[in-house]
Amino acid sequence: MCGLSTPQLKLGLIDKVAKYSRYLLLLPGFVLILLFLLIPLSMIIGISFFERFTVAGPENFTLKNYITFFTSPQTPVILWNTFGMSLLACLITFLLGYPMAYFLVFRVKSARTRFFVVSLLLVPFLIDWSVRVVAWLPILGESGIVNYTLMYLGVIKEPLELLFGRSALLIIWPQTYLLWMIFPSYLALTRIDPDIINAAKVLKAPPHRVFFDITFRLSLPGVVMGFIFVFVSALGDYITPALWAGGIQTLGLSVANYAANFVWPYAAALSTILVAIALLILYLLLKVVDIKKLVY
Amino acid sequence: MGKALETKELVKWYGKEVLALNKVTFDIDAGDFFVIVGPSGCGKSTLLKVIAGILDYDSGKLYINGVDMKGVPPYKRDVSMMLENYALFPHMNVFDNVAFGLRMLGKDKSEIEREVKEALKLVGLAGLEKRMPLELSGGQRQRVALARALVINPSILLLDEPLSHVDYRLQRKLMEDLKEIHRKVGNTFILTTHVQEHALSLADTVMVMNTGVIEQIGKPEEVYNNPATVFAARFVGEINLFSAQIKSWDGGLCYLNTDIGELKANPKNKSALSSGDKVAYAVRPERVKIGEEAKLCDNKVDAKLVSYYYFGHYMEYVFQAGNSTKIKVSVPTEKVGNLTLGSIYLLGWDAKDALLIEKPCMIEGLDIEEVIYGK
Repeated sequence: MCGLSTPQLKLGLIDKVAKYSRYLLLLPGFVLILLFLLIPLSMIIGISFFERFTVAGPENFTLKNYITFFTSPQTPVILWNTFGMSLLACLITFLLGYPMAYFLVFRVKSARTRFFVVSLLLVPFLIDWSVRVVAWLPILGESGIVNYTLMYLGVIKEPLELLFGRSALLIIWPQTYLLWMIFPSYLALTRIDPDIINAAKVLKAPPHRVFFDITFRLSLPGVVMGFIFVFVSALGDYITPALWAGGIQTLGLSVANYAANFVWPYAAALSTILVAIALLILYLLLKVVDIKKLVY
Repeated sequence: MGKALETKELVKWYGKEVLALNKVTFDIDAGDFFVIVGPSGCGKSTLLKVIAGILDYDSGKLYINGVDMKGVPPYKRDVSMMLENYALFPHMNVFDNVAFGLRMLGKDKSEIEREVKEALKLVGLAGLEKRMPLELSGGQRQRVALARALVINPSILLLDEPLSHVDYRLQRKLMEDLKEIHRKVGNTFILTTHVQEHALSLADTVMVMNTGVIEQIGKPEEVYNNPATVFAARFVGEINLFSAQIKSWDGGLCYLNTDIGELKANPKNKSALSSGDKVAYAVRPERVKIGEEAKLCDNKVDAKLVSYYYFGHYMEYVFQAGNSTKIKVSVPTEKVGNLTLGSIYLLGWDAKDALLIEKPCMIEGLDIEEVIYGK
């Protein structure tokens, strides 16, 4: 061996590709996010600081758009309509969806029944979104099924005004986004080792303590995920408020209105505020419920 | 001494197919170290969970300290349990894991602090209060689980396979600790294991289980020296088993026909057996002698040495007699002679050292020969 160099295996092209393949895996997603999210978002934020935006480009740097928004007497109502209603819808979705997920995981023994129920939950999603939006009229309208039934049963004398008001959002959004709450909660609940729950039982925990100290606590990552899904979806939906909420103003709706009238900078400023507050709320949510600590 | 636990014909089904507990009837004295031993799937874990109240039973009776447990939820039973795989609460540190039960019992803060500290000291984990379960080794987790179950001071402590999943050294240490803790606290311990050595060395009382039925209950030495069934004999200690048929009785001495020729036995309490009965003829490996010593024995067999296993303090030889009958012989290391593989040696044992077992196991309808040679 003296004088000879140690033999080395030659790396071929395939080996080199394999070595860097994890970066290749990231590439398509990264390009997509860059082209359709990061660049447009920076453009929107940029435009929001100008007086006008024409074919020639932005004109006159200003903070006026923001000042106008935050000094308008309308603003608190709009913010409440936007973020308050979305958060309320999240809460209602949680109250409806979590017990269902819990039931599926802990009370439905057979995997087949479980699959069947989950499939049933998916059925509404096979119907086109626009059809589902319009279908609320025959259900919640003045002479819709709900009012008709309640009046027939003598529960109410006058039809309830379920549509064309804020309350409509608290019915329609939870129905629409229920699955976004059920699925992550369901997955988080299935991940809990049944023996951990058993351990709590034999360590003298009464049923409500078993639930709050162990089961619910360990499913929190899923609940937080569900909250984020529903919150973001409701926030981005301006059609439902426009159609069924009786002309209330939300940030999303304002953006659509100003954009439709080509008042780009103001629409951009509203969008930026929407994104900023949404991020702030998510940040606070994740700070209160430390998701890194949740996923041990 | 009172009874900590009594069961009468306990039955537990899983679905319609699996009968996990088949009319299990036994009782346990208060303060006993009771070990349930059996292969996996024999129902020992199910039995513990039924006692703890995690699982409901289908019929029969279960009394803890004389109180009927039908419909009593786990948290109202004077029992705590260390589950297999420890099942520590992953979102709580060691202190909070151990304190959990005490908090549920509504003890005040200073008391909890003191008792948790004491329990952690008892299991040798003082100083690790702030660690999360994920930051612990397997052995440490086991100790946390033990401390957590112990600290609420139940009259019955259930330990489901506490010695599996850890290495040998740790097993030994935990066994010593368990025995010492049991002596100190004086509660009733019920422990399950599939390892016979653990059963023999830990237990005041051993119960051998087999697919939902009890094979035998007794002191470890009773079960070892006088197994009730072939299954129990095989599950507690090493044993040589030969299928045999009784030929004749001469006084207290019984002559039997086996595959390796005529053998003699001097069984106690077996006078009910008569000529023609099929039994299992059994002899423990440490009772068999080799060579010169064998010449003076009542039973003598020529056999070929086919393999050996060295265990440190003793050597186990495997001989083959006749066509296929294996005979194991264990010899203390200091008495080991110079034997060569493939050579023929004379093996011998006394009639008084042989056992006759007439029952294959407690499950009805099984043929004794099948049970002897089945596995």
